[in-house]
Amino acid sequence: MQENVFNALADLALNASGQSISMSKAYLIEARLAAIARREGFGSLDDLVHTLEARQNPVFRAEVAAALLPRDTWFFRERGSLEALVQNRLPERLAASPSGRIRIWCAGGSTGQEAYSLSMLLEDDTRADLTGAKVEILSTDLCKHASEKARTGIFGHYEVQRGLSIHRLLKHFTRLDSGDWQASEALRARISLRPHNLLEPAGGLGKFEIILCRNVLSGMARSGKSRLADSLANQLAPGGLIILAEGETLYGLTDRLEPSSDLRTAWVASGTANAKASAA
Amino acid sequence: MKTCLIVDDSRVVRKVASRIVRDLGFAVTEAAEGAEALLMCRESMPDAVILDWNMPVMNGLDFVKALRREEGGKTPRVVFCTIETGAEHIQEALRSGADEFIMKPFDAEILESKFAEAGLI
Repeated sequence: MQENVFNALADLALNASGQSISMSKAYLIEARLAAIARREGFGSLDDLVHTLEARQNPVFRAEVAAALLPRDTWFFRERGSLEALVQNRLPERLAASPSGRIRIWCAGGSTGQEAYSLSMLLEDDTRADLTGAKVEILSTDLCKHASEKARTGIFGHYEVQRGLSIHRLLKHFTRLDSGDWQASEALRARISLRPHNLLEPAGGLGKFEIILCRNVLSGMARSGKSRLADSLANQLAPGGLIILAEGETLYGLTDRLEPSSDLRTAWVASGTANAKASAA
Repeated sequence: MKTCLIVDDSRVVRKVASRIVRDLGFAVTEAAEGAEALLMCRESMPDAVILDWNMPVMNGLDFVKALRREEGGKTPRVVFCTIETGAEHIQEALRSGADEFIMKPFDAEILESKFAEAGLI
């Protein structure tokens, strides 16, 4: 890939989604844009970039920007933090909720495996304090196609075999004539999906008791990370938690959030972690 | 080192699976069908079995039922790996004693994921 072509695409990724892509990952750009290039009949990425710059079509730019995002996700990724959330944190958050309702935001939820994993954990949890609990899961992603795919709850042969036990597959999914598998109505009913750019204001999404933003920060440039951190803080309900992936941190990005005192990878509104620890 | 017996009448599948399983840190042995595999288990019970369904002499379903009747035969984690992907096949395999189920085709990520689900890694 020519350097000017790479730079144009790297700039697009940075400006549209805060993603930082180095030249060493140029092969990923080629792989991620291959489908669009084929569909539009571009002979090369040079042609695609020239068209991007000539047409200035915001819809096409958004589609290309979304295609540059890392897409790798699977069911029950970092399973421990999801299980700890459902087993330990949800009951206490529900008990503290005046409305008896909990809203969870899967920020950057890609094709929905994270949201469906949470929904499965809730379906499988038979404890009295979670039975019938009103838990709403919103999964958002910059890529409209990813959100639409997640909405169908339909996953392919390889997707349903990564991270998902055969027992859960049989319990929660139905095999379609196409060979794909569709999540049950019970799983889907708890989840809503919509496109959303994490760099844009998220006020319209409402407040959330729990925000999962895992494996998003690590691919972002610093400027994007700071904007994202503030956006997440804005949407956090009082007493709420933000869960990151292992190895990710919000240190130095915002002074509105601090690490949770008792849950690894979790962050809370500043001033609340020690208060909780003292109360305990 | 944990051991894994790969049972499939396809030499290609055995080779592909062997490479992946060795990369997961297992010592690997192979059998081309169920009866041969059962004899090998009587000699030395493996920690894991990757098992095809349709094989000559003794198929996978008969193998796992026989295995579970053997002394020590409840120990190995059995992961079916087959083109039989209907829900009824899967349920029959689990009822017969399988722990996990891989629908072919598979890749290294799927095999590793299923080994994790089976408690092998």
